[in-house]
Amino acid sequence: MLYALEARHAPVVSLWVWYHVGGRNEVPGTTGMSHFLEHMLFKGTPKHPKGDLDRLLARYGAQWNAFTSEDVTCYFETVPKARFETALELESDRMRNALISVEETEAERTVIVSEREGYENDPSFLLGEELQAIAFSRHTYGQGVIGSKDEIKLMTRDGLYSHYRRFYAPNNAYVVVTGDDEPERLIEQAAASFGTLEPSHDLGEPPKAPEPEQHGERRVTVHRAGGTLPIVMLAFRAPRATDSRAAAISALAVALAGTSTGSDGASGRSSRLHRALVETGLAADVDASFQLMKDPFLFLTDATLRPGVKHADVERVLVDELSKLSTDLVAEDEFARVRRQLLASTAFNTDTITWRAYRCGQLLSTGAATSIGDWYAKLAAVTREEIREAAAGLFVERSRSVGWFVPEGDAA
Amino acid sequence: MNRVHRSVLANGLRLAVVPIADLRSTSVLLAVEAGQWFEPVGRPGIARLVAQTMLRGTARRDAAAWASELDALGAVARLDVGAHAAVFSAQCLGDDLSALLALIAEAVRTPALADAEVEFVRGQTLARLEKDERDTRAVSDRAWRQLVYPTGHPFQAPAIGDAEVVRSATPAEIRAFHKSAIASDGAVLVVAGGTTAEAAKDAVGRAFGDWPKRAKPRDANYPQATLATAKRRVELVPDKTQSDVIIGWPGLPRTDPRFTAARVTNMVYAADTFASRAGNVIRDQLGLAYYVFSAIGASRGQSPWIVRMGVNPQNVRRAIEVALDELRKITAGQIAEDDLAVAKDKLVGELDVALESPAGVAAMVLEAEMFDLGEDHFERYPRELRAVTKEQVVETARAFLPPERYALAVAGPALPEALA
Repeated sequence: MLYALEARHAPVVSLWVWYHVGGRNEVPGTTGMSHFLEHMLFKGTPKHPKGDLDRLLARYGAQWNAFTSEDVTCYFETVPKARFETALELESDRMRNALISVEETEAERTVIVSEREGYENDPSFLLGEELQAIAFSRHTYGQGVIGSKDEIKLMTRDGLYSHYRRFYAPNNAYVVVTGDDEPERLIEQAAASFGTLEPSHDLGEPPKAPEPEQHGERRVTVHRAGGTLPIVMLAFRAPRATDSRAAAISALAVALAGTSTGSDGASGRSSRLHRALVETGLAADVDASFQLMKDPFLFLTDATLRPGVKHADVERVLVDELSKLSTDLVAEDEFARVRRQLLASTAFNTDTITWRAYRCGQLLSTGAATSIGDWYAKLAAVTREEIREAAAGLFVERSRSVGWFVPEGDAA
Repeated sequence: MNRVHRSVLANGLRLAVVPIADLRSTSVLLAVEAGQWFEPVGRPGIARLVAQTMLRGTARRDAAAWASELDALGAVARLDVGAHAAVFSAQCLGDDLSALLALIAEAVRTPALADAEVEFVRGQTLARLEKDERDTRAVSDRAWRQLVYPTGHPFQAPAIGDAEVVRSATPAEIRAFHKSAIASDGAVLVVAGGTTAEAAKDAVGRAFGDWPKRAKPRDANYPQATLATAKRRVELVPDKTQSDVIIGWPGLPRTDPRFTAARVTNMVYAADTFASRAGNVIRDQLGLAYYVFSAIGASRGQSPWIVRMGVNPQNVRRAIEVALDELRKITAGQIAEDDLAVAKDKLVGELDVALESPAGVAAMVLEAEMFDLGEDHFERYPRELRAVTKEQVVETARAFLPPERYALAVAGPALPEALA
C-alpha cells in the first residue's frame, strides 16, 4: 500500500517503509529475530554492496534509520528532495534482495548483543521487560522485541533469511512518503520502484494467540545493584488501536502525565501524577503511556522514587489516582488543558516532515485511523465522560500487573 | 534557509525570527548567558539550580498556577543549562506565541525563587545525582571531566554539578546568581515556525521590551586545560553488563576560526556511527559496539571533544585501541579522499535536511546568533565546510586530538585486564 502527504515547508522528502512483522511474529527460540533481521538489511544486496547506498545517503546529509517494535519493522530516509530516487532505490532493492550472508550475520551478532547489554544497564529496561513478560501468558507481546541474549546468540543465517523472504514483500508493507512535491507525483515515483517487486506467497495467517482474560493481579520484583533509585511500574490490559476507546485512552495518559518532555521538563506539571507524586516529594519522575498497537497491549504508568521513599506508598498513590479517574469526571478546566495538550502535540509532531510520515504510517499500520486528520478528529471528539469510562474499564485490580525495581540492599 | 529577520531590543536582547509558511506550530529558543561558563568559580551546579527554581513560581503566581497556564496552552517547554547558556526551549501553536512568551518572560525575569522551592529543586537534584551514581554514562562523563579540567574550571563537573554544592547552596546564593547572570545583555531569542516577523517582534517586545538593560561581564578567565600525557580512569559500577567508554580531549571555542575544520575532522573521525572512520571499523567491521560517536561542544571555552562507545567489558581494550589507531591514521595523513568528501557532503547536506522542522531551524539560527557568526553565516558556512582541505583536517587532529595525549574514562563492570 502506498500513501503520500504533501509538506512544502522544506525541500526534503521522507520515505518510510513499514513491514508487518515484529516481536509478535516470533516464537520461543527465535525471539529477537525481526530485530536481528532489521540490522541485516543494512548489509547490502547483489546490486548495491554494503556501504554503497548508505554512503551515498550520508553524502546527501540524510537522516535515516530503522526500528523494530512488537508489531512492525520500519525503515526510513529523510533526504533532500532531489535525492528521493536514491532512497527509493535503497528501499525497493532491499525489500526483496538483501544478501544476509553468514559472515555478516556473525559480525552483526555481537553488535546486537552489545545493543541489548546497553539496555540492560538501565534499571527501567530490566523492570519493564520483566513486567511485560508477566502481563501476557499467551500472546507473543510478552516476549518483547530485542529477544533474549541466548536466543540472539543462537540465531542462524538461514532462519533469518527465511523470515526475510516470508515477510519482506510489497504485499506485507506500507510505504508512506511525505515531502515537498505533489502527493500524486510522490506516489507515482514510489509505485514505479515498488510496483514490480515479487510478492510473498508465504505470508500465512497473522499470529493468533489471543490473551485470555486476566483474573488476578500479577507482581514481579527485580532486585539489582545496578540502580540506586527504586521504581514502581503498573501495567493494565489495554485495547488495540482500532478500539473505539483508543482516543479517550490517549487523553487519559495526558491527564495522568502530560505530554512528557522528560524529568526536567517545564510542561506536564499540571498533570495528576506529577501533582500527586513529584510535587509531594515521593517521586523524582513519573510517566504514563498508551501505545497504538495491533492487538490488545498495555497501559503503563511508572514512577522513579525519591531516595528513602517506600514502594508501597507510591504504589498506593498511583492506584488512588487511577481510581479517581475511574469514578469522577475530570473538571472542565482540567479537561480543557488535557485536550489542548493532546491536540497541540499532534501539530508539533506533524510539523516535522519525518515525524509526519511516521505518524501517518503508525496510524495506518495499526488501523487506528485512516489519516492524520482522521486521528485528530477522533482526539478532538473525546469527551470527559469517555475518559471516565475508559479509566473505569482499564484500571481494574484483577487485570493489573505490578513491578518493583528494588536497588540491591534496599528494604522495600 | 528562509529569511532570518534580525533585530535588537533597546535592552540588548537580540531577536531572530524565521517565519515558515504552512506550519501550525512555532519553536522558541531563549538563550541567556547563564551556563556553566558563567557559574561562580568552584560552585558547579548553581546555574542549573537557578534554572530549575525559575520554573517553580513567579512573583505573580505559584508553581502550580504557572504550570497550569503553560499546559493550558498545550505548549511543551524545558529549561536546560549547557556549557555556555541556559536555554529555554519551547514549542506552541502559532496563535499562542504571545501567551507563551509572556509566561517565559515571567519565569525568567521575575521568578519567586522562594526558599521552599529551592528546597524542592535541591531534593529533585540530589535524587538525580544519586541515580547518576550507578548510571555508567553519567559516571564515565564525570570521571572524564575530572581527568581533563583543572580544579575551578567550569567544565570540571557536568551541568548538574557536585552533590556538595547542591547540598550547600543557599536561597541567597540562588537569588544572587539569578540577579547577576539572568540578563538581557548577551541573550538571544529565536522564533521559528508558523508566525510572521511582525507578530513575533510585537510579542517579544511586549514580553521582554521592558526587561531592564544591565551590562554584565562576558569574558571569564579560566586556566587552559591541557593533557601532557595519556590519562586513564576506570570506575567500577556494579551489576552492569556494558562498559561506557569516553576517549576525549579539551576542544576549542566555537568562535575559533578553526571550528569549521574541527567539525569536518570530527565527521571524518567518529561523529557518525556509519559515515565516520571509527564507527565503520569498530561497529561495522569488527562488531565491537552498538554505538560509537564523537561530538564537539560549542561554547566560548574548551568544551569536551569526546568519542563515546558502549562496549562489552571483554572488548573494551580492543575498541579503545582501534579508536586510537583510526585517529593515528588521520594524524599521519592517511585520509581517503572519499572519506573527506563524504564528511563534508554530509555536514552540508544536513543543513538542508534540518530545515524540515522548526526546532531544527531554530537551533541552527541560535548557534549563529549566540556566537556572532555573522548575518551571512548561512551563505558562507556551506562554502567554508566544502573548502576544508585534507591538510587542515590533519593539522586540526594533530593540534586538538593528539593520539598519545588523551583522557580515557571507563565505567561499568570489572574489566578482564588492566588498560595499558
